[in-house]
Amino acid sequence: MPYFITGDCNGCTACAKQCPVLAIDGTPKERYVINIRRCVSCGVCGRICPKGAVLDGHGSLCRSVPRSQWQKPVVDTKICSACGICVTWCRAEALRISLPSFHGDIHVFAELYEPNKCVSCGLCEENCPVGAIHLSEVRA
Amino acid sequence: MRTPVYAIIDLNTRTSERYEIEESMYRKYIGGKMLGARLLYDLTPAGIDPLGPDAVVIINTSPANGTGAPCSSRFNMTFKNVLTGGIASSNCGGQFGVLMKRAGYDGIILRGQSDMPCVISIVDKQITITDAGELWGKDTEETQQAFPKIYGKLVIGPAGEHLVRYAAAVSGERVAGRCGAGAVLGAKKIKAIVAYGTQRPQIHNKKKFAKYVSKWVKFLRNHPMTGEALPNYGSAGLVSKANATNALPTHNFKYGHFKDANAVSGETLADTRLLRNSSCISCPIRCERRVSVDGKDVKGPEYETCGFFGPNIDCISMESLLRLNYQCDLLGLDTISLASTLAFAMELKENGVADFDVSFGNSENLTEIVERIAVREGKYSDLANGSKWLSEKYGGKEYAMHSKGLELASYEPRSSVGMGLGYATSNRGGCHLNGGYLALLESVGVLSMNALSTSAKPAFTAFFQNALEAISASGFCLFSAQSFVPAILFKLGPHHRVTRAVGKIATHLGFGVRALLWMLPILRFNTVYLFPHAETLRLITGLPFYTGSFVRLGERGYNMERLYNFREGLTGKDDSLPDRLTKTPQDANNPKTVVRLDQMLPVYYKIRAWDETGAPRKRTLRKLGIKA
Repeated sequence: MPYFITGDCNGCTACAKQCPVLAIDGTPKERYVINIRRCVSCGVCGRICPKGAVLDGHGSLCRSVPRSQWQKPVVDTKICSACGICVTWCRAEALRISLPSFHGDIHVFAELYEPNKCVSCGLCEENCPVGAIHLSEVRA
Repeated sequence: MRTPVYAIIDLNTRTSERYEIEESMYRKYIGGKMLGARLLYDLTPAGIDPLGPDAVVIINTSPANGTGAPCSSRFNMTFKNVLTGGIASSNCGGQFGVLMKRAGYDGIILRGQSDMPCVISIVDKQITITDAGELWGKDTEETQQAFPKIYGKLVIGPAGEHLVRYAAAVSGERVAGRCGAGAVLGAKKIKAIVAYGTQRPQIHNKKKFAKYVSKWVKFLRNHPMTGEALPNYGSAGLVSKANATNALPTHNFKYGHFKDANAVSGETLADTRLLRNSSCISCPIRCERRVSVDGKDVKGPEYETCGFFGPNIDCISMESLLRLNYQCDLLGLDTISLASTLAFAMELKENGVADFDVSFGNSENLTEIVERIAVREGKYSDLANGSKWLSEKYGGKEYAMHSKGLELASYEPRSSVGMGLGYATSNRGGCHLNGGYLALLESVGVLSMNALSTSAKPAFTAFFQNALEAISASGFCLFSAQSFVPAILFKLGPHHRVTRAVGKIATHLGFGVRALLWMLPILRFNTVYLFPHAETLRLITGLPFYTGSFVRLGERGYNMERLYNFREGLTGKDDSLPDRLTKTPQDANNPKTVVRLDQMLPVYYKIRAWDETGAPRKRTLRKLGIKA
């Protein structure tokens, strides 16, 4: 079920900037709209909205969460086959396939190399075909 | 059951409409190249011009695309072959297919011809056609950079715009190269097609599918071929193997061995130039090479490029090979056809027939000449028409290395005669993948069947053509099938007596394989060691696919493509190879080193249940459920 932006929206653009699938559109300082065809219900908009103006798929209001408490993907390097599906879903470009550790190294895997960019949308976890990625709390 | 949804895009009126595939057709042809062939057969009349306004281009995906199954990001382009006039199916591993499926369409059918250069965008099920404007004329990299990074793109370069007959369409850094995919898009004046969306593909049995995918990925990663050889050396690693067995085309297929081949081998590439390996989306094999060209991190060459821009033109410069490979990607050219045409032009000059300023052993001016071919400048315009056209104009048919018009791939068939039969009978022309890829069993793999014997080759060729057809149509990369040779043989090595014995036995297994082909309906089992694709397809679609019915599916596709070829005027006489391969022995002291097509073709036709002229019999078609 797609998310919905209520009339409380003041057009701060925070959600549109972070949406991992570019589903939110509008003009600044006016109410933004979520493209229901594209929304993947990841909840990033709800978490980031400072005005509490986002309803989730069930119609309940989303609570904003401080960015430091967002979950981050953790990759099980033993299972990961470096197929790159997570990297193609990650619009924030927080994930990448690791560089070989020596010349001719073929044992590479997905890694979170820009944790600050990660918006914790969970698309990597959801689309990993071998279940090598899990979102978890980051200890400070 | 959810059947595939296609969109018919009419470029004359710039409109699009939804087109649902009937369930019966979906069950029979599944998707990809097979469904493409059926649709092309139904939607076009016979004898159209492949670059004309009536031509139809089908770009479609398969059930497995985007599901996350290993090696499943491949999409397919089907159209009337620019070089042969028969069927063309060009397969590409770029992002476009996956994102088109996420955008809500399993395929698009392009009709008509735009009068202005245009861009088609498929975003969230909405199709819009806009003018290309300044994009027209730009190379493939610049064109792709004009669109958002997360979009899937399929673009053509200057070569496609100028209707070079072997121009390629490029998606990301992967290329739908063969048969002139870029030329047909260029003729329709489509500069780019972009897609984006977030829909998920449907999977019939999600839980079992996830489990099976994990199992398959583990198997691929532990197999010596897909887990070690391909990631380490890519397909370029085959150069040294082919050279050792005299199967590396040298001097325009005159010889099969090049003394300096090591300079352009995959091992040398890995030691000196390789930055890292990479992959298409969802592929655990990771055979793509990343190399540095002029300080830029670009895609490295495949085996065909190494062989053709190296030994086949007597050059050993890795530097120029990498640069040419990158340049071809930028211009949107098929490296196989281009390099083979250049080699033919070099031999024309050697024989004093025509001079295109190219000569064997000299790769310095090639960069400049390739640039001119791409824009069809002056006399180089002739080279843009492929070697068949050249040989008809200037002569030299016996050494124009093509079959039906499409240039042969980089395996010398006189040292792997099964591959020769594959080239000759392949539906899209001289293609190794559509031809059964027997070179893997004869000359470049760990197994070594007797490469000069014609025994068992027709049966193996028919079997593998069917199997590869089905794998391709269900959306998987053919490299995922390279793991079917048991891992134990790799561990023992090619010279161990067990491996040699298996190779020898295989040479006499013709009747076994024929029996297998006959028994297909009762092979109701699936194993990860043979065709894991069948089980994966079963879990995705919910249709009863087993090893037997899966190969049978490929047989139906192969006959369908053949039917299209025959309707377009190709005949059994076109199942041929240049005289150099069938009449001149590769080794003057060994008269066996020729491709004896006259011996193999009748047996092959018999196995395929085609008549003596090579046409599919009515009974065969009825048995396979193909309506002519």
